[in-house]
Amino acid sequence: MEALALKLMNAVPALAGVPLWVMTLLVMVVVAVILLVFALTFGGVGSYVLRKVAGDIQARIGPNRVGPYGILQFLADGVKLIMKEDIIPAKADRFLFILAPYLVFVGAFAAFVVIPFGVGLIASDLNIGVYYVMAVTSLVVIGILMAGWASNNKWALLGGMRAAAQIVSYEIPVGMALMPAVLIAGSLSMQDIVRSQGGLLGLFGWNVFHNPFTFFSFFLYFTAAQAESNQTPFDLPEAESELVSGYNVEYSGIRFAFFFLSEFADMFIVAALAAACFLGGWHVPFLRAEALPGIWGNLLSLGVFLAKALGIVLLMMWVRWTLPRLRVDQLMRMSWKYMVPLTFVNLLGVSLWLLLFRGKGIPQLIASVF
Amino acid sequence: MTRPAEALPTQEMLINMGPQHPSTHGVLRVLLRTDGEVVVNARPDVGYLHRGLEKIGERVTYAQFMPFTDRLDYLAAMNCNCAYAWAVEKLAGIEVPERAEYIRVIVSELNRISSHLIAFGSFTADMGAFTPFLYSIREREIVNDLFESVCGNRLTYNYARIGGVSADLPPGFLEKTKEFLDYFEPKIDEYNNLISYNKIFVHRLANVAVISAKDAVAYGLTGPNLRGSGVKFDLRRDEPYSVYPKLEFDVCVGTGERGALGDCFDRYMVRINEMRQSIRILRQAVAQIPEGPVMAKVPRLFKPAAGEVYFRSECPRGETGFYIISDGTTNPSRLKIRTGSFVSMNIFETVTKGLMIADIVAVIGSFDIILPEIDR
Amino acid sequence: MGLREYIGDIVEAVVTTAKGMRITARYGVDAGEEVTQQYPEERREPDERFRGFLHNDIARCTSCTMCVKVCPVDCISLEAVRGADKKMVLVSYDINIGRCMYCGLCVEVCPPKSLGHTVGYEKAMFERGEMVLQFVHEDAAEIKARVAKQVAEAAAKAAEAAKAEAAKTAAPGTAPAESEKKE
Repeated sequence: MEALALKLMNAVPALAGVPLWVMTLLVMVVVAVILLVFALTFGGVGSYVLRKVAGDIQARIGPNRVGPYGILQFLADGVKLIMKEDIIPAKADRFLFILAPYLVFVGAFAAFVVIPFGVGLIASDLNIGVYYVMAVTSLVVIGILMAGWASNNKWALLGGMRAAAQIVSYEIPVGMALMPAVLIAGSLSMQDIVRSQGGLLGLFGWNVFHNPFTFFSFFLYFTAAQAESNQTPFDLPEAESELVSGYNVEYSGIRFAFFFLSEFADMFIVAALAAACFLGGWHVPFLRAEALPGIWGNLLSLGVFLAKALGIVLLMMWVRWTLPRLRVDQLMRMSWKYMVPLTFVNLLGVSLWLLLFRGKGIPQLIASVF
Repeated sequence: MTRPAEALPTQEMLINMGPQHPSTHGVLRVLLRTDGEVVVNARPDVGYLHRGLEKIGERVTYAQFMPFTDRLDYLAAMNCNCAYAWAVEKLAGIEVPERAEYIRVIVSELNRISSHLIAFGSFTADMGAFTPFLYSIREREIVNDLFESVCGNRLTYNYARIGGVSADLPPGFLEKTKEFLDYFEPKIDEYNNLISYNKIFVHRLANVAVISAKDAVAYGLTGPNLRGSGVKFDLRRDEPYSVYPKLEFDVCVGTGERGALGDCFDRYMVRINEMRQSIRILRQAVAQIPEGPVMAKVPRLFKPAAGEVYFRSECPRGETGFYIISDGTTNPSRLKIRTGSFVSMNIFETVTKGLMIADIVAVIGSFDIILPEIDR
Repeated sequence: MGLREYIGDIVEAVVTTAKGMRITARYGVDAGEEVTQQYPEERREPDERFRGFLHNDIARCTSCTMCVKVCPVDCISLEAVRGADKKMVLVSYDINIGRCMYCGLCVEVCPPKSLGHTVGYEKAMFERGEMVLQFVHEDAAEIKARVAKQVAEAAAKAAEAAKAEAAKTAAPGTAPAESEKKE
């Protein structure tokens, strides 16, 4: 941020007199606003795509009335939610009730800071990138639990308790499944992880093809990520048919919209992490994105990254519309008895492999023969 | 160091799975007392849809009551129409022409297929898989089109009459039925691949709410609920009526293929297999149907002799029995209806002890209840 | 549980999920599978036997009241007066389509086959009172008045004819007394 602020001050003579800290702050605010707009737009467009994909899979047309092919449906939904009456139940805990959606959204949105969108396009390349994401996305648990408790509704309470149990239980498999990528890169920083893949090997530089254990780890991560973002088959906290919408049953209007948007933001986070850690991030196949002239490197890498992340999001939607829901004890059993041991064994396997082959993956070994 | 149990007081929750709930298949209220997620007691509270059909039966004539039987189980209206017609014909000793009997069997079995499709679709939707519901509705629309061409309505048919059926089949109906059967048979395999044998679905249903054969008979369960516990009893085979003796089909029972015998999965699979058997019956009936009249000669002012009759027939949700007392006038003196869903509520409280809340939904779905049948 | 069962569980979960996903993928990709009919632009024509709103052809109706008697929910109401030619004249014929349950029993029993179903099914209204279809378009009081006049005229004519008959058949002398007695 500071470097960018300095560059701007040097480029535009009118800003020369402004103190550096003010400029840095301004740049930070602008970047935050850009990310917020991206998150909200993704929430809206994501909901439209979700409904269209649902329609395709279910042999029907999705929304197609508002705008050409129904593209403006999410705007209509947004306007409707804003205009709805704001109902707070009589005996609800007002402060917690009002605070909960914002906590959930902050928990999801704060992770946007370390998503590597492209070459040099990252809000802040923290050297604890992955660790930071894991920590910050755990905030949603508090928000959901607050929402469940403060609603003064037994169904909401059940939904909140289930969500707490679920998200906390699946944090471990998510973290352990991301470790192979960290081990291969040798750093927790997101940009380092992305840079450790790709290069001239193109597609085969991706972590997912590095060794069989990382291949397995990708699918484990995907399953745990589906659970982290409350998608079917792990959508018990908001199981429509059992809990009548679970923890957000008493929310209406813009508060409900916040829960909804944070669910999509969460989906994007886990998809972006999958793309960055396993699918080569912003590497353009068979090109060196960092070497491309001027702004082309940035734009192309941004496009590639978004395509990969959105592909993972589509995959999550596809799984969502196919599978039924797990019961809460089966979900816990799956996490603790299947996912956790498998991810640990996986981590052990990756460590052994890296030790044996000195950090080289299968494509690199094959390439070194020639 | 373990904390003594008294130091940490816990309380049971009394949750109202109220009349308005996405998964109770109607206006059913279940009072749940739970210890966290585990159910201690689940008491069903029915009556939210009571319309006094049996009282209406005493007020209208025999012929006028036919449209009300549509609203008894609206997803299997043909079956209820025919059951009532057979009951009154048994009371008055009326002989129905053979073509009419074949037509009744054809529409009953088609309606069995469409009713089981709804049972399948809504059950999987309750379990969280939203897609199969849409597919089953699509299939059902074709059956609705067939029924519309026969009697003019898509849900409340009022097709059977005392002495036969109201109108003959339109030209092309039998061909269209055969087309539907050819189209639909592979779809059952598709549903099995998509959801029936999916590991998550199986795990939700296996070993949940196991009802032993002895219990099933003791509590008076009927239909697929009874057969899911392994009891090979089907009214079409064991107390045959109409032209069922001339038709070949297997009685589907639960086999405990994915868990204990008599669990939710068995009841679910019995319905899927019954759809296949219905297709078999339909193919035979469509081939065997003779020409002839479709209505017997019944006096305009229909006054059956004084007496009483109980007739039961195999409807998709169990046994629908009509107990009619006639006093020789144009209106029944007492018209009592016994339905399969009502007796399923009998065993609900016993079988849900110790289950989790998510399993309550599975149990309601596996019993395939429909509230108008329970509440009449 | 043993290791074999453990691995078997995982494999079965993956295989059945993949089977299901293949089916949904086929639907997702193949656009021809959509079965939506976009009402009201795409409208499905009901079958000819469709039991839509009722329609009574007043010209053929004989006011026999069979339909009124057979209706299970009493949604048909008619009023008729006896006309000059001893036939019933329909004063009003109303069907409450809000109460009607479209069972078709009235259509079946109608002797002159004047009552029938149309294929209409779209008649949303704002008030319940508007849900009554009236098939006699003249004012009831007017019809009654007209019929009463006709009956009176016919009665007067009949009386005159009877008087003329009596005057003809009776003896010329006793005629006035006879006719007075008759009146």
